[in-house]
Amino acid sequence: MIKKIHLIVFFALGLIVFGCTETSELDEEKPTISVSYAQGFPQACAQLKRGETYTFRAKASDNLGLASYSLGIHHNFDQHTHDDQPEACEMDAVKSPDNPLTLLNTYSVEGAPLEDELTISISIPNNVDPGDYHCAFSVTDVTGWQGRTSVDIKIIE
Amino acid sequence: MRALILSLFIGLSVSVFAQQSVTIKGWVIDQNTQQPLEGVNIVGVNSSFISDAKGAFTIELPRQRSYRFRITHLGYAEQEVIVDPKDFDEILMIALLPEATSLDEIELFGKTPQQRAQELSSISVGVSKTFLDNNRENSLMQTLKKIPGVSTITIGSGQSKPVIRGLGFNRVSVVQNGIKHEAQQWGNDHGLEIDQYAVEDLQIIKGPASLLYGSDAIGGIVDIRPPKIPAAQSFSAELNLASETNNELRSVSAGFRGRGDQWYYRGRLTYRDYGDFKVPTDQINYESYVFELVDNQLRNTAGFEANASFSLGYVSDRVKSETLVSNVNGKNGFFANAHGLEVRSSSIDYDRSNRDIDLPFHNVNHFKLIHNTTWYGNAHTLQLDLGYQNNQREEHSEAVAHGYMPVPPNTRERVFTKNTFTFNLQDNFKPNSKHDISIGLNSELQDNQIGGWGFLIPQFLRWTLGGFAFDHYRVNEDFHLQGGLRYDWGLIQTKEHFDWYRSRIDNPDQTTSYVYAQRSRNQTLDFGNVSASLGFSYLKNFTTIKMNLGKSFRMPLANELASDGVNYHMYRFERGAIDLDSEVSYQLDVEVDHARGTFVAGVSPFFNYFENFIYLNPTTEYYETLQVYQYMQTQAMRFGGELWIGENLTSDLRIDATLEYVYTEQTSGPKKGFTLPFNPPLSGLISLSQKLPNLGGFKNIQLMADLRLTDAQNRIVPPEEKTPGYQLLNFSLNTQFKWNRTADDARLRLKVNNVLNTPFFDHTSFYRLIDVPEPGRNIALALNLPI
Repeated sequence: MIKKIHLIVFFALGLIVFGCTETSELDEEKPTISVSYAQGFPQACAQLKRGETYTFRAKASDNLGLASYSLGIHHNFDQHTHDDQPEACEMDAVKSPDNPLTLLNTYSVEGAPLEDELTISISIPNNVDPGDYHCAFSVTDVTGWQGRTSVDIKIIE
Repeated sequence: MRALILSLFIGLSVSVFAQQSVTIKGWVIDQNTQQPLEGVNIVGVNSSFISDAKGAFTIELPRQRSYRFRITHLGYAEQEVIVDPKDFDEILMIALLPEATSLDEIELFGKTPQQRAQELSSISVGVSKTFLDNNRENSLMQTLKKIPGVSTITIGSGQSKPVIRGLGFNRVSVVQNGIKHEAQQWGNDHGLEIDQYAVEDLQIIKGPASLLYGSDAIGGIVDIRPPKIPAAQSFSAELNLASETNNELRSVSAGFRGRGDQWYYRGRLTYRDYGDFKVPTDQINYESYVFELVDNQLRNTAGFEANASFSLGYVSDRVKSETLVSNVNGKNGFFANAHGLEVRSSSIDYDRSNRDIDLPFHNVNHFKLIHNTTWYGNAHTLQLDLGYQNNQREEHSEAVAHGYMPVPPNTRERVFTKNTFTFNLQDNFKPNSKHDISIGLNSELQDNQIGGWGFLIPQFLRWTLGGFAFDHYRVNEDFHLQGGLRYDWGLIQTKEHFDWYRSRIDNPDQTTSYVYAQRSRNQTLDFGNVSASLGFSYLKNFTTIKMNLGKSFRMPLANELASDGVNYHMYRFERGAIDLDSEVSYQLDVEVDHARGTFVAGVSPFFNYFENFIYLNPTTEYYETLQVYQYMQTQAMRFGGELWIGENLTSDLRIDATLEYVYTEQTSGPKKGFTLPFNPPLSGLISLSQKLPNLGGFKNIQLMADLRLTDAQNRIVPPEEKTPGYQLLNFSLNTQFKWNRTADDARLRLKVNNVLNTPFFDHTSFYRLIDVPEPGRNIALALNLPI
């Protein structure tokens, strides 16, 4: 009987101390992408004029190698989402879209660099609806992990 | 397990009462403890009886002929007794054989869950109504989580689905009354649509079970059996009331059952209504977003469930037949600040009430019609199961433009309508005293329709047809061999689907066009699969040793084969692979279990190899700014198992401890070295149970403390997150009291979950992905009133 109780106590203690973290050779790190640096564009609450051309810039990094970027712009006239930047932007009134700007671009990165800067020239057409927009960057690494960031912007006339 | 070392004595004393009828008095005791057994079923052709608190029962019979009775009781081996009133003028003692040696009959009638579990060479656990009542949580699967090797994928407080040793979704089948439950099991946010109060007897097979159930039962089975047949000329009812503090649950369930001579019936109505659940934190930090919570409430996670079921049965000594009709209806909201992984803002005032269900939400209705008939012939026992199920599930969310999709016209994002027809026929016979042979045929037809503006899986039709033969060979009293072979043929027809809006396509000649993108094609695919199983069980003294080798399979799902669509809420584009093969898995299971008196200890290791596990692989590519996830097949291995040990420290204090572990690894493909998705962490449970002396009118007072110790899960696969370990303390108090002179004792259960209000993450919870912790402290009161 005593022996059995010892066994249970031992078993219970074994449970508590069991907690070894194994060192792994696998890539478990997500890539990062950010516009939070001096040349990063667009910054939170940036105002972009119709008819102008802008150079979008974001820096990405990874421990193993970057693979692809995506850059999306979609309207936020219904205020269904918000960005992950520290400052809150002033929003226009909620409205219905007529001819909103929709941009869904993807780019591959050559040579799997550990650090890279996405530099893309984007023209804002003259006929798109002005208002609040949401600009989303994302990046994958060679393993298939993804990093994202998003910025609230405004398109003005 | 205790049943192994117990046997049953029945004492029958008969006195002649009148010329034409006799009254037989008997009693039932436990052979080991010599204590009377209450609630034992003594079931005859036209009548059935139940032993009282002193183990006694009285049967009145006409004198003309002999009668056959089956004596069944939970945890004890079943026995058949023939009573001939003409010869009954003295006391007759009948000893039932210990369960271990009563394996010579494959019975579909009235076996206890524990007994059936022992008869199989596959690793299985029997679960009784007592276990369910004493451990009841918010959903059936959460209740079963206490069983080592069983975990859940949960979404919110009211929904969960089974995971057995790290495999879930379509790799675990749930079977009710012989019919496989068919819903949207592949979905992340789907929960099992079964009224947990209507379940009294179930068995969990932790391992490959394709042999008896066909495709999908690759990881295991949750097999829900019909409740016991009520006693003849009886009527009983019960009322279950429950209330909880965390999500302000109010639950009421009322069940009744009765029987004339040969006809019997059962019915149940259940209504549960709950508010938003509370988490032990003021804010959720997800990536760089911060969601402030009001009163710790996870906004918009309220819901309700309304269920009804009725069954009508007929029993004689030649036929047992039962028809069940049931409907489960539920609706619950999803956390409002993020839909899937997508952060959402809304003009809806979610905090105005913690009980309303706003967008996004889903609702589901599951209708079932199941008929089972068993014919007991002289040599053959034939079993027929027929089933029809209709599953209607709708996901609603605020209409928002996404990608090239303009603002949709309504909130019906995804609608799934599934009709399933099932046919099973099985014959059990004994060619000689050594063999029990079962042969059977199963067929299932599924028709899956889709609707709504969001596309995830195509419409499809699936037809499967399988045949099997299974032999239980009794080499000698202690040593049993079991083996079987099965062949399945399956057909999947997917239907083409086009978006309802135009997407921009950049053509090679520098022009652009706007087209209705095709998301799935008309395809017809067929699959053929062999399943097999071979194992033994060896029972000696107080120890059972089992070993089983099984090959099982799973046909690819329509979404794995043919999806080609955006899942905006998960930020991914899901692409199927039309050339996928059926998943094939080989598994070796071993179990050594020792039970002597109050001491139990055991171990059940397993090793599993997948030739071609189907995995949704996150690639490096993008499609319309969404990361492309591609269905593909990789080799994978899994191993692990469970350990359990328990003993009474004093006559009133018992300690039990269990440990469960699963290691998984993809051994080929782009994610070689990573785990399989949703791999549960190492986890143990230490339970202390103290019996307390009667207090006033309260008796059988039992105080239980459960300490759950879960290690961190640092072995993950993209896109999962590592999850830290945690310790969780739960208390419960069960007691019985007399509330009405004529009725059975009422049962009262008070439980406190997460006593210390610990914030922790469940690695396999849907909300884990957005860093939402599990519910905080919950005090629950449940009352069961028999009538």
